Amino acid sequence: MMEYNDQLKLQAYLDGELPEGEAARWAERLARDQEAAALLTELRQTRECLGGFEEGVKLPETREFYWSKIQREIERLETPRPAATATLTVWARLRRLLVPAAGLAVVAVAALVAAYRSGPTMVATETAVADSGAMIYHDYAAGATFVWLSYPADDDVADIDEEATLD
Amino acid sequence: MTETDHSAADDRVLVRAAQQGDMTAFEELIARHRDKIYARAYSMMRNEEEAIDLSQEAWVKGWQRLAQFHGESGFGTWMTRIVINLCLDQLRKHKRQRTESIEEMSEESGGVERQMPVVTVNPTAGLERGELRQRIDRALGQLSYEHRTALVLHEFEELEYKQIAKVMGCSIGTVMSRLFYARRKMAALLADLKNEDGK
Repeated sequence: MMEYNDQLKLQAYLDGELPEGEAARWAERLARDQEAAALLTELRQTRECLGGFEEGVKLPETREFYWSKIQREIERLETPRPAATATLTVWARLRRLLVPAAGLAVVAVAALVAAYRSGPTMVATETAVADSGAMIYHDYAAGATFVWLSYPADDDVADIDEEATLD
Repeated sequence: MTETDHSAADDRVLVRAAQQGDMTAFEELIARHRDKIYARAYSMMRNEEEAIDLSQEAWVKGWQRLAQFHGESGFGTWMTRIVINLCLDQLRKHKRQRTESIEEMSEESGGVERQMPVVTVNPTAGLERGELRQRIDRALGQLSYEHRTALVLHEFEELEYKQIAKVMGCSIGTVMSRLFYARRKMAALLADLKNEDGK
């Protein structure tokens, strides 16, 4: 029986992995060694029968369906996570500044009008200590108090923040 | 560029377009090479569903790494390397999840194949192409993943021993043993299948 090492070398001969000199020695041996020749034939037959096997294997899905899954995954991976500040529109950013400014202006005008009519001691405006976004206007003469909130529900901003936490 | 234009374009042109972000060009590349990539995944995994998933994962990775493709090899070859690596990772995960059988351990030590009688008659002679494919399919399914992978990388991917050793993370000697066992086992299995079928 052939040595295991020789069997592996015979395989290397078949695969063209032996140096030239050694390959020539194997060619000579194969002419007189029937066992080696039989093993070489078996190895060669196995190699030959495998040839073309993959060519017959076809993907069992349509082009469109297969691509649609790949496309979805690529798009999913490439869609940047929405960042609240980055996705705010110019108008939304401007509105953030304008809303409290407009509130202050309205309160100031109301205070001036009241002061002109009733005297300086009858009206007062103040900023709520607990909430810097709230402006309070008192008209003692009229017995009225107005509270101006500078942060009405800003839907755009709220939605963006919410989306950012969904992933 | 329209889809009709893509169907006539060379792979290299499509790759360049895809590298610029043209997804329709990439879709055309997939259409051209999808069978080959799937077939390689199927040869290694022996499971249709897993082969589909891994081949799709390979395409997604291919898209992400397109900038790294400089055309040293063909696009199809480059893609098969990606799918092979994904399959190897998956097979290693499978392997960790199961215990090795006694047979597999003796296969690794390189003893079993020495005892096998030489198959003197070609067991696939006279078979129709489809029938031959079915038999090979069944026989491949009975090899361990190490032996099947060595065989697939050598016979289908046409890699040299040292390249297989690099891909599989083992020595050239181990590659030679695995390949030898895989071939001898395939010959025996094909002969057995022929006897079972009474042909």
